[in-house]
Amino acid sequence: MTAVRRAIGGDWAGLLAVLVLGGVAAAFLSPSFLTEFNIYVMLRSASVAVLVAFSQMIMLAVGQMNLSVGALGGLVAVLFGGMLERLGLPLIIAIPLALLVGVAGGLINGVLTSRTGVNGFIVTLATGSAFTGINLGLTESKPFHGVPREFVALGDSHWDFIPALLWPPLIVAPLLGVFLYHLKAGRWLLAVGGNPSAAQLSGVSADSMVILAHAISGGLSGLAAILAVAQLGAAQPETGAGWLLVSFAGPIIGGASLAGGSVSITGAFLAVLVIALIENVLVLANVDPYWVQFMLGALIMLTVGINRWRAIRAART
Amino acid sequence: MSLASEPAQRAWGRLRDAPQIGLAAAIAALFIIFTARQPAFASSFNLFAMGRSLAVDVVVGFSQMVVLATGGMNLSVGAIGVCCVMCSGWLMHSLGLPPPLAFLLALALGATLGGLNGVAIARTGVNSFVATLATANLFSGAMLILTRAVPINRLPPEVSAIGSYRMLGFVSPPLVVALLLGAALFVFFSYSVTGKEMLAAGANPRAAALSGISVDRSIIVSHLLSGLLAGLAGLMVVVRVGAAMPAVGGEDWLLPSFLGPVLGGTALAGGSVAVLGALLGATLVTIIRSGLLVLNIGNFWLQLFLGLFLLAAVLAQRYRGIARARLE
Repeated sequence: MTAVRRAIGGDWAGLLAVLVLGGVAAAFLSPSFLTEFNIYVMLRSASVAVLVAFSQMIMLAVGQMNLSVGALGGLVAVLFGGMLERLGLPLIIAIPLALLVGVAGGLINGVLTSRTGVNGFIVTLATGSAFTGINLGLTESKPFHGVPREFVALGDSHWDFIPALLWPPLIVAPLLGVFLYHLKAGRWLLAVGGNPSAAQLSGVSADSMVILAHAISGGLSGLAAILAVAQLGAAQPETGAGWLLVSFAGPIIGGASLAGGSVSITGAFLAVLVIALIENVLVLANVDPYWVQFMLGALIMLTVGINRWRAIRAART
Repeated sequence: MSLASEPAQRAWGRLRDAPQIGLAAAIAALFIIFTARQPAFASSFNLFAMGRSLAVDVVVGFSQMVVLATGGMNLSVGAIGVCCVMCSGWLMHSLGLPPPLAFLLALALGATLGGLNGVAIARTGVNSFVATLATANLFSGAMLILTRAVPINRLPPEVSAIGSYRMLGFVSPPLVVALLLGAALFVFFSYSVTGKEMLAAGANPRAAALSGISVDRSIIVSHLLSGLLAGLAGLMVVVRVGAAMPAVGGEDWLLPSFLGPVLGGTALAGGSVAVLGALLGATLVTIIRSGLLVLNIGNFWLQLFLGLFLLAAVLAQRYRGIARARLE
């Protein structure tokens, strides 16, 4: 009983309700909403965004942040494209190599942050600029179009309304859950996020947990970049340029604590779906696309405000 | 030397530790290298053009610096900047207001938006990073919705006349404004009660609150000031371009806003500012940018250089701190 209640009574029950009610409302408002193609397009763009959100979520779990999520994603995308087009590497080699680049970028962030003790914000602002610089310097802003046809086809393929690209986030989400809640390393990671000095006193190395979180974050943004290449059918240098906002919006609206130590995987997933739904409805309603940005800002503010109000109320009782 | 008195030695030590010396040396070295490779680098026209863009970088850096002083950060510097750009353009073009009045009202908008940031942070106790990330998108989104991203090109001729005016052959008026502003900020943080309270609140909020300083008020004032400065930087772009463009500022200002102050030695943890350092930091960035352009290295590598410089500055600041702590 309690397990069931915990499963449905979590912070994300509200998000699920918003998603369902919003979907029903959208279906009534626009006949083109519930078409197979529309749902497929919506889920396909959410697939990349979910991984981007996870990439930031793991940093919030350890009580840090990563401003280079998008820049690293862009670098991985163009290196992946370059490996396919210029070097002619097969996918089976290029995909693991691209993921490795992501992990390596994350490791650089992690080592720099933990070794120097400098604010992770400024370190990743700097490395992010460097990643973007390498990306632009190598590509001179020109995309790689020589992506194998079968890979582009994979990006377009779908089973009914479920895009093939939705599988990676659907597989990553439970893996992250197992890691964070059932493996020792994951629990340590959350412990460091919740209270670094207490974790340190009980023998957990905060530094290695920060490095681990950054490595996972880098790997996830690399995976998101590979999906973005499949989705766009080309490796665009500007991949990742707009990821910053959604990377924070997903986990925060999903219920992650900004102080660290507590995140919700399901919540972040649902939050990204809600964002995708809002974007989709605005497009269908022919509203200015600029409203999306405004709404996202407002949603973050609202979530943060609600959490604050709850905390104050909880402190009073 | 045995003759050197102890205070002199201490002063020398402080000077040696100051990041400003290293920055000034780097600026001088780069200036000489770039001029040697391409004499046109030191031409009065290039100096004028550099000074004009330097003014914007300096003020953008100041806008971040005043918030860093209280231990916060402001991700909406670029968003507020572009709101003021479009507001001033609209006031001059659609309402036909004279430029001075339009500029004043645009600055008031900047201060208001900054003040909103401050109130949101102080009232809710939310991390300034997340709050200003959210408001940055609110502000930019609202600006784009209202303007439909259409630039306003027809501004009164006086506007671009200010931008192309050259004092002494190579000094741009906005640069003079930026320098005067630097002096004013130095006085503000060194001598005024409000400025000192802001630094105290940044250094140790709890201790500051215990000694009767309103930390909330300091946060609100710092963000208000930051918004005002972001607006001023936006107006400097308006006079330079002679038009109000919706593509100004935004996320493009994020890196420069941190580069100047952090290169210059402003602590990220709050409690200290380095006005001269921020000026020099911005100068270094401008020289690198212009130098790469003049040498035809291409702007594509610029971001890599800027990122590495920021990283090096942060590491140097960190290890200088560790070395000093060991000595003491």
